[in-house]
Amino acid sequence: MKAKGWGTWFEERLGISDVFSFLTKKEIPVHKHTVWYYTGSAILMFFVIQVVTGFMLALYYKPTLEEANASVARIMTEVPWGWVIRSVHSWSASFMIALVLIHLLSIWITKSYRSPRELTWMSGVFLLLVSLFFGFTGYLLPWDELSLSATKVGTDIPRAIPGIGLWITKLLRGGEDVTGDTLTRFFGIHISVLPVLAFLLLAVHIFLIQKHGISSPLEAEKRKSALKTMPFWPNFVFREMVVWLILLGVLVTVAVLLAPGLGPSADLMAPAPEGIKPEWYFLFLFQTLKIFPAHMLVASGETLAILLILLFGILFFALPLLDTKPEGRKGKLFTWSAWLFILYAVVMSVWSLL
Amino acid sequence: MKIKHSLITRRRFLNGTLGGWAAALAAAFISPMVKFVFPPYREPDEVILPFADFQDMAPGSVRTFPWGNKPGALKLNQDGTYTAFVAVCTHLDCNVSWLPDQRKFYCACHDGWYDENGDNIAGPPPSPLRRLNVVVEAESIFILKPGVEPE
Repeated sequence: MKAKGWGTWFEERLGISDVFSFLTKKEIPVHKHTVWYYTGSAILMFFVIQVVTGFMLALYYKPTLEEANASVARIMTEVPWGWVIRSVHSWSASFMIALVLIHLLSIWITKSYRSPRELTWMSGVFLLLVSLFFGFTGYLLPWDELSLSATKVGTDIPRAIPGIGLWITKLLRGGEDVTGDTLTRFFGIHISVLPVLAFLLLAVHIFLIQKHGISSPLEAEKRKSALKTMPFWPNFVFREMVVWLILLGVLVTVAVLLAPGLGPSADLMAPAPEGIKPEWYFLFLFQTLKIFPAHMLVASGETLAILLILLFGILFFALPLLDTKPEGRKGKLFTWSAWLFILYAVVMSVWSLL
Repeated sequence: MKIKHSLITRRRFLNGTLGGWAAALAAAFISPMVKFVFPPYREPDEVILPFADFQDMAPGSVRTFPWGNKPGALKLNQDGTYTAFVAVCTHLDCNVSWLPDQRKFYCACHDGWYDENGDNIAGPPPSPLRRLNVVVEAESIFILKPGVEPE
């Protein structure tokens, strides 16, 4: 064995060189939309940061009614560098979701989801849901007044879905009401269920991207012109590393200068505080719920709003199946729907802050 | 292989039996797991409060009390009777607060308003605050779910 060396020993058993030769042959198309290709790996970087800082926070965090708020206070005030770790975890979550949204909108607008990449899009929508659910469950964990009220509202929303709604609310809350059980349950979901789902979905998503290759924009495909390309390794990877480094610098700067606060421990009996707000990425949904009146036609405004949001969610998931003629007028309509969505989300979010 | 007069092949029969058996086995494991995730909590039927804690209330004022995991609101009416509510917004479950100056209940989550009788008057709440029955007996105030008799 000595003669052949460790490298050969592992190679004979793992066959890793196939992966390397695949990666060195991989080509990245170069065109005016190439910039969006960088969002994917940047999301991955933030995800890794979340896993590492999340594991560190879990060393001190205690997911119970009595201790949750105090344990976060301890992380912030006593644990060496604790406030930075928590701040990075909180900000990195926002950065990750922001990049997920940019990633998704760029794919929507350039129609990268078109055949045969429908399942790549759908696995991506599931990853979006997992990311949002990560954010939603994480928001409760500091157990202060704001996070309690936001969770009461968020877990009450499914109740309006006919049939299974109440069941989902009870499943999320661990009973009829938000209690200490909800906190413990959210912690479990946040650190075990969601990470497993995220890793599985990521594996599928990344495998599909390798299988189909990176998509080129529609115009380039239409013109049948050969696109310029650059090698994935090392040209593209080195460029990605520059992006990671810049984002990492911005993240740490923001995290140090704007550390998240911690309100007083939540009291189940206290009235909801003024100015409750969910995380920024839920603001447009929050505002949508707020503007629907109590009664509309036959149903309550709330039920109608929630069913409408659900319907849009399903349409969004099925986007590649609906947008079947990407080059035609129908295809243009779907591109416009993306801009309309952006406009709606921005207007509603700004309105909710006024 | 298919026996004469048989409707299905032996393979299909065995696959079906095996599949059915596996499904039954899975169900036997999954149903207790699903049951497990729902803890056995129920809203209380009645809460008994010591009258001494509430006898200094001024007419028209409101004081909160714990109704299981949620807050309740007890109001002393001008005629000396009591009205009790579950102090939780009927829109999306936030706890409401009593604003004594305006004599209204207010939910800060989505700007919902109720008058002093608990009726929804503005904002998104679809229905009035849930009412509870109140019986004052000797040293205790019994707060009861509608339809429940005091013990």
